[in-house]
Amino acid sequence: MSEIENVSNELKLIIFKLGREEYGMDILRVQEIKRMMSITRVPSTPSFIKGVINLRGSVLPVIDLRTRLGLLEGELQDSARIIVVLVNEATVGFIVDEVVEVTTIDTTLVESAHALSTGLSTEYISGIAKAENRLFIMLNPDSIVNIQQA
Amino acid sequence: MDVNQYLGLFLEEAREHLQTLNRCVLDLEHDPGNLQILDEIFRSAHTIKGMSATMGYAAIAELTHEMENVLDLLRKGTLKAHAGIIDTLFQCVDRLEQLVEEVVSGQSGGVEVAALSAKLAALAKGEEVPVVVSETVVPAVAEDAVKTDIALNETEEQLVNSAIAQGMQVFQLIIGIREGTLLKSVRAYMAMKALDELGDVIKTDPLVEDLEKDNFGQEFSVVLVTEIAADKVRETILSIAEIETVIAIPCASTEARVNRPQIAEKAGVAAIAETISEPAREAMKEAPKEAKAVDPAAAKAKGRALLRVDAEKLDSLLNLVGELVINKTRLQQIGLSNQLTELSEAIEQMDRVTTDLQGVVMKLRMVPVGQVFNRFPRMVRDLSHSLGKEINLIIQGEETELDRTVIDEIGDPLVHLLRNSIDHGIEKPADRTAAGKNPVGEIRLIARHEGNHVLLLVSDDGKGLKAEAIKQKALEKGLVSKAELDAMDPSDIMRLIFMSGFSTAETVTDVSGRGVGMDVVRTKIEALGGTLELDSTPGQGTRVRIRLPLTLAIIQALLIQVQAETYAIPLGSIDSTINIVPADIRTIQQQEVILLRGQIIPLVRLGRRLGIEQSNDFGEEQELYVVIVQSGDNKIGLLVDSLVGQQEIVIKSLGTILTGIKQIAGATILGDGQVVLILDVNALG
Repeated sequence: MSEIENVSNELKLIIFKLGREEYGMDILRVQEIKRMMSITRVPSTPSFIKGVINLRGSVLPVIDLRTRLGLLEGELQDSARIIVVLVNEATVGFIVDEVVEVTTIDTTLVESAHALSTGLSTEYISGIAKAENRLFIMLNPDSIVNIQQA
Repeated sequence: MDVNQYLGLFLEEAREHLQTLNRCVLDLEHDPGNLQILDEIFRSAHTIKGMSATMGYAAIAELTHEMENVLDLLRKGTLKAHAGIIDTLFQCVDRLEQLVEEVVSGQSGGVEVAALSAKLAALAKGEEVPVVVSETVVPAVAEDAVKTDIALNETEEQLVNSAIAQGMQVFQLIIGIREGTLLKSVRAYMAMKALDELGDVIKTDPLVEDLEKDNFGQEFSVVLVTEIAADKVRETILSIAEIETVIAIPCASTEARVNRPQIAEKAGVAAIAETISEPAREAMKEAPKEAKAVDPAAAKAKGRALLRVDAEKLDSLLNLVGELVINKTRLQQIGLSNQLTELSEAIEQMDRVTTDLQGVVMKLRMVPVGQVFNRFPRMVRDLSHSLGKEINLIIQGEETELDRTVIDEIGDPLVHLLRNSIDHGIEKPADRTAAGKNPVGEIRLIARHEGNHVLLLVSDDGKGLKAEAIKQKALEKGLVSKAELDAMDPSDIMRLIFMSGFSTAETVTDVSGRGVGMDVVRTKIEALGGTLELDSTPGQGTRVRIRLPLTLAIIQALLIQVQAETYAIPLGSIDSTINIVPADIRTIQQQEVILLRGQIIPLVRLGRRLGIEQSNDFGEEQELYVVIVQSGDNKIGLLVDSLVGQQEIVIKSLGTILTGIKQIAGATILGDGQVVLILDVNALG
């Protein structure tokens, strides 16, 4: 599954932080970014499903990306945001620690995640983007939402 | 012409007419000589033919055309509606349904009509085909034609005069569109387009704008200047579907007309000497006159103005009303907490209006169950024939209305139940006679209101279910243990049928009995918020009662709290709420229970069930709240921390990602924007 299918070599990413690492996701998948709001817990769901929120009258699930990616859990700060993403015609919120910026990367400089031996589960990662001296871990929203894999 | 914009209308009309065909052919089978029924069949077939020809669906048009030929002979009495014909007609209806579905799916060519067409043609030839050209109709039309002579203004007169001077022909054409045609403007448009190719149209009556807006009766007139012969013009226009008559009256120059007006008119009469030779077209001229008397649907439509509305628009209207209800609730809360009398009054007023509005919107979405029921007579007929059984299906209460969402879902479960009754319930005629019953079996399908619910009853007078056979089967399939069986009362045993993997049929037929049916039925009904009961008397029949909520969108619910979390419980499943003290909780084999009116009721600590820490240490005198709910077939008590209150809630789905969570039936949004989950009490037992 690749996020990098643009004809041109450019890809716009939304960059956000989980802990100290910077992550990226195709901006075209992002519907909006919300401040943290009250989340209703849903029983009998995997732990990474934080619950549901009210987005202008419709109910949508939110996923804690840190839990989902197996990162250490930490207190959510004021900077925490919910990124609302379109996944398979459904909308899902992703909780991130901070939204940094929107940036354009050169897809030719994206390396496959398999080339790295990180501790991260690579199934949610579509690649590592390099820009100047920063590294962005590119996430694949489809596999993140796929509950069957949990 | 771009027909796509008419596609939706075509499909809807076609489906309606197919349904009529199905129903009428069934009626015809019971009453083969009935002319009214034949007329109705004929009309439907003809309309489908006309519509499909316009839309360019040649296969549908061809098949209906052949049907018409046979039907016409039936109406004339030269053919008798014997079983062979009825069967062929049914096959035609089925084939037409397939063809229409092909239109929907956008494929084509998969359905073959030639064989059926040939069969119909053979049926028609089986008797003498009387080609009758009724001369009497023609003069009547001609007289009409003369009356509607177009008045030309000066410029137009000059055009006519100069055209005639140049040796061209000028006709007044009176084009008659079949009565009852739906898209008259389309026919008119097609006719105009064809005329444009033949020559110049210098005047139309009524105006072109009115023709486009369907603003005319069954006829319209045009004045055409052309070099082509009248016969050819008439032929071209007549080839357009649903155009029934074309009368061409040559226009003379002004001078000539002033001098010899009578002759011009006579020439007009002569010009229409050609009549339509197809018996079908001929018959159609008379059919609409009779139609008025026998078509109750049309009569009803006349009395009230009806609109076709896109269901999606209704859905969005309902959503908006839902939002309004949420906001109203919010206002009510503000009014209560601030104790503002004026505000409270205004809110009360608004409450009334929103309640009414909600009622109206809900009614808009209500659809008579007849829409689902009307396909059953045919199904029952086909199935019972193929099984060699005779079954009389009695349908009652088809006018009972249910929410559209429920209607869409209820069809399949009912099909399963009916199939079960036909296949397993009703015995073969010989067996019935031997048992001292009427050889014709009876299946009743009844719908009626019952409080805030709609009750659907499917009953048969067949052989019923034998408790022993069910027990045996359940044991064989390993669904229950012997000990469990012994502890069951008769109604529990009947309920075994709804367990997955259960089927009592000795042989698996393709009709029913794959062992999934009843299980699927139960799941579906429960998903709709309904309940299902089955009772059966051996030798006398089986009855299934389905109780369905009127609507699924807005319900009354009780809000309760467990720790900091709020949940909604649909009021429909609540039996009562009681206060208890810790001493009232007893245990039976580790299971906590309470006594309610002498009944032992299992107690469920809701917090624990939902994965929240719920305090276990109660003060001796502490009041505890228990909500008694109906969970499946049993009552259970839900131990909650507090009761918040009763409220109207709008049910929202949790979305595709969170489907299939047990215990949770959906979510709702409260006035303050908080999302609250709705408990599925059936899954809490």
